[in-house]
Amino acid sequence: MFMEVSTHKMLLLKNLQISFNDEQVLKGINLTVNKGDVVTLIGPSGTGKTTLLRCINYLEKPDDGEITLGDVHLDYKSIRKKDILKIRRKTAMVFQQYNLFKHKTVIENVMEAQMVVQKKSKKAAYEKSMEELEKVGLIDKINAYPSQLSGGQQQRVSIARALAVEPEVILFDEPTSALDPELVGEVLKVIEAVAKSGITIVLVTHEMSFAQNISTKVVFMDKGKIVEEGTPTEIFNQSSNERTREFLNQFYTRKN
Amino acid sequence: MDITFMLEILPQFLSVLPITLLIIVVSTICGFLLSVLVVAIRIKKVRLLNPIMGMYISFTRSTPILLQLFLIYYGLPVVLALMGIHINDMNPTTASIITLIIYNGAYMSEVVRPAYLAVERGQHEAADSLGFSPFKKLYRIIIPQVAPIALPGLGNAIIYLIHDTSLIFAIGVVDIMGLANIIISSNYGMNQIEIYLLIAIIYWIVSMLSEQMIKYLERRKQRLPYNGSTKEVA
Ligand SMILES: Nc1ncnc2c1ncn2[C@@H]1O[C@H](COP(=O)(O)OP(=O)(O)OP(=O)(O)O)[C@@H](O)[C@H]1O
Ligand SMILES: [Mg+2]
Repeated sequence: MFMEVSTHKMLLLKNLQISFNDEQVLKGINLTVNKGDVVTLIGPSGTGKTTLLRCINYLEKPDDGEITLGDVHLDYKSIRKKDILKIRRKTAMVFQQYNLFKHKTVIENVMEAQMVVQKKSKKAAYEKSMEELEKVGLIDKINAYPSQLSGGQQQRVSIARALAVEPEVILFDEPTSALDPELVGEVLKVIEAVAKSGITIVLVTHEMSFAQNISTKVVFMDKGKIVEEGTPTEIFNQSSNERTREFLNQFYTRKN
Repeated sequence: MDITFMLEILPQFLSVLPITLLIIVVSTICGFLLSVLVVAIRIKKVRLLNPIMGMYISFTRSTPILLQLFLIYYGLPVVLALMGIHINDMNPTTASIITLIIYNGAYMSEVVRPAYLAVERGQHEAADSLGFSPFKKLYRIIIPQVAPIALPGLGNAIIYLIHDTSLIFAIGVVDIMGLANIIISSNYGMNQIEIYLLIAIIYWIVSMLSEQMIKYLERRKQRLPYNGSTKEVA
């Protein structure tokens, strides 16, 4: 058997731009993500990493640019309502603050989009949800409400909720930065398993060693632009770009 | 205290109870629908209409309802005549219902709006990110969280509405209060206390029943173990 070398393009951004209050926050982002890639976005605070993820999920409306997501190609200048749902249904976001549906139990949270958006039967949604909740180790909490769970548990549920709709790309925005330090590990372990399962991931994180371990590609952003991208080794160990090195140095000095 | 007299006149009051209840029910339902419309306009910041809604709410909430009742009853026909629509007799019941709807639309909107705004943005975004249509998001995710926050306030609004109906006799509606005044004057002012006591009890019962109805809705909706913070509503 041959190992499939995946060069199939999953997500393509071309010249993506967005401004808030006349201030350009993303200044023409070009990004290619292949199927099965784990792309990590790093960079200083306020650089536009979150904004970029939100644009991919269309939680923010880019002013200009194009996106290709699987078999959907769209120009942001001429996007229609129908297209928005299409894009959103191919992507799922894991938020920094989890954002679980507060009025629903763990299992209901994971079932909801499957039933409402994907129109699956209750039984099918339940079975899929149990499968995903098993992966994140929360089978014993299915009837709990979000408010009864720790932050780490809530984030694992939100990962299960995202996985359950079988998105083509999962977007993680600093998924561990709202967690108490002792809960970070359990969530990173789950994300690592997701990465290994071959799902395409775009991740924003400040956990540099984690990024180094799981990424197939690291993208360094600064002031609304992509400064440099490459393999983890290229970025973390061999970068000759001054801004990249400055950021990483500063990061490690701050950490230690 | 003449209990037999109270029992004697009770059937008369029961006969005007339906009109009172009709006014209450129609004003509650239409007032609520109006409040939802007002909230939608204010939250979407619809141009032109948004500032008008702000003025409407401010005016309605800061003038006595009795005055509004007179303005609608005597003023509305004049305004309509200016627009070329002539109504010879403004029906007092209609005028009352219009006034109460307008009043409640404003009052309830100030209950619904903060309740809607209390649902975090993250809840909207989670639904959006999963590809919920706007309607499905509202119906499945947002309303079920707005309802338990809004219901106690809406319950209060209904109780106030019930009490406010006791003013509409002033333009000649023969509801419970209107009948009380008719009986008292035809009785040369005798047994006043008994009559007022009797209708107080009727208002009490009607208020209590509607309170129970709201409580029932709250119990049905509120299956979430909120930490209690959402129960207290302005
Ligand atoms: N909805 C918005 N309205 C106005 N300005 C915004 C909005 N969203 C983001 N910004 C601005 O855009 C810039 C980029 O923000 P963003 O959150 O994407 O940065 P980030 O790289 O994720 O930073 P961090 O590492 O701190 O999370 C910031 O200056 C921010 O203030
Ligand atoms: Mg961010």
